[in-house]
Amino acid sequence: MSTPLQVYEPFKAGLPKLGKYWKSLWSRRTFIAEHSKSELREQHFDTAFGQFWLVINPLLLSGVYFILIVIIGGKTDTMRYVHLTGTLFLFYLVSNSLSSGVKAVTSGQRLILNTAFPRIMLPLSSVVIALFKFFPTIIVFIVIKAVVGSAFSIQMLWAIPILLITTLLALGLAITISCINVYFRDMASFLPYMTRTLLYLSPILYEASTLKPGLRILEYVNPLFPILDSWSRALVHGQNPELSSMLAGLGWATGIFFIGTYIFLSREREFAVRL
Amino acid sequence: MSSLSASNIHKTNEIAVSVRDVSLTYSTTIDRRPTFKTRVKALARGKKQTRVVQALSHVNLEVEYGHVLGVIGANGAGKSSLMRCIAGILPPSQGRIEVYGSVSTLLALGVGFNPSMSGRDNVYLGGLAAGMSREEINGHFDEIASFSELGDAIDAPMRTYSSGMFARLAFSVAAAVRPDILIIDEALSTGDAKFKEKSLNRVKELRSDDRALILVSHAMQTLRETCNDVVWLDKGKVISRGEPNQVIDAYQEFLQVGKSAAIDEDV
Repeated sequence: MSTPLQVYEPFKAGLPKLGKYWKSLWSRRTFIAEHSKSELREQHFDTAFGQFWLVINPLLLSGVYFILIVIIGGKTDTMRYVHLTGTLFLFYLVSNSLSSGVKAVTSGQRLILNTAFPRIMLPLSSVVIALFKFFPTIIVFIVIKAVVGSAFSIQMLWAIPILLITTLLALGLAITISCINVYFRDMASFLPYMTRTLLYLSPILYEASTLKPGLRILEYVNPLFPILDSWSRALVHGQNPELSSMLAGLGWATGIFFIGTYIFLSREREFAVRL
Repeated sequence: MSSLSASNIHKTNEIAVSVRDVSLTYSTTIDRRPTFKTRVKALARGKKQTRVVQALSHVNLEVEYGHVLGVIGANGAGKSSLMRCIAGILPPSQGRIEVYGSVSTLLALGVGFNPSMSGRDNVYLGGLAAGMSREEINGHFDEIASFSELGDAIDAPMRTYSSGMFARLAFSVAAAVRPDILIIDEALSTGDAKFKEKSLNRVKELRSDDRALILVSHAMQTLRETCNDVVWLDKGKVISRGEPNQVIDAYQEFLQVGKSAAIDEDV
């Protein structure tokens, strides 16, 4: 067998060899899964109470927001609650990816300083954790939908590609924000305000169709808008999502993922001296 | 998954690591915790926000299979930076490093560990972080558990461990990795005197014709007993390289402390 040769030379800028990088990342998949599981266990999500909290937390939040809608907007119907719950659960997938991803690199200091591995593994692991937290909420959503008597239809299968697009967007955002936080450590302090603003600008507390014409611009400037609108149409109303919304969501997710990954990969080799 | 276990038969004196004219210069922030606030403040006051560090300067080095190279030098001499460059953690700013074989680093103990999990779980986490596969860890688990001397405590959460117990398990996991080239940076000073001796014996066991070892340590007696060659670094430059006793004596003379007990002691 020939001896494997590794050559380390200076780099100015740009990306590492992507084929080799991907191979190295793939070879670490067991570690990514184990690392994510250990983080979940640290947050007690392997216990019955932990999983209960995982479900009850977004459910309570949706309850609070529903009361808020009733108080501000007057009478409302049960479908509104189904919309609120469904979109809030998906929003939390992105929000949890961001809150866990922002410190993914800075909290992985010991790993980065002492082991050679693809650094993108760290924000990737944050998204895996957010997905683990998201999946139980799907069951809760289905139960709520059944209880209020909302019809189940074949159009609900659109949820699969929408979830894939959302995961790609969450990954792109987590990769970008984890890299920014290396250079600006107060990014983590701004994040709750940013996610809260994103929540209000997304069709969660209201439906996209009820938006005033003057606020239609939100459809174009908020990456989550077309995704959540499509999610609500498919899962809540049992309709086909609009093609334009699906394409807009995919465009945003792909763009953010590629730009974020480029920034991350071109900077990751200096993380060891920045931490 | 690519295995870190040595899979190639290397002949003694074959080159394992070649470091050619390597320099490492990097800029780092002056503030320990860079923030938007400090960046804006520094910009407003026209202050510099980064400083340039020259960690290594024109280092040339070769390590052969079957050899143990010791690396000595004062704090800040560039020892750890050189090890990180060889391990591929830090890219050099100048020169070229060629590594012929799989490398494992023991630069710090307990990398990848999660204190809220049991020692058993951390054996897997630490092993995977070090690049081992799950099958390899399964194969070495009994050896790791027995070497750590933790007994039933291996199933207790690591946050309940004493620092000695933590270090013993961390060293046991790290010592189970069988790479072609092993880099150990100050990791032998773990646990009590008995465990230190046991760790040193394990490192001596790892010396073999088809493996290269690089040992960074302030424990001069250990280096004298273990190494074939010693290189002395100061301010990022190689001051001297050669027969261990000769280089270590020159280094100790340079430090003006002579062969005091303090420097011969494993610390």
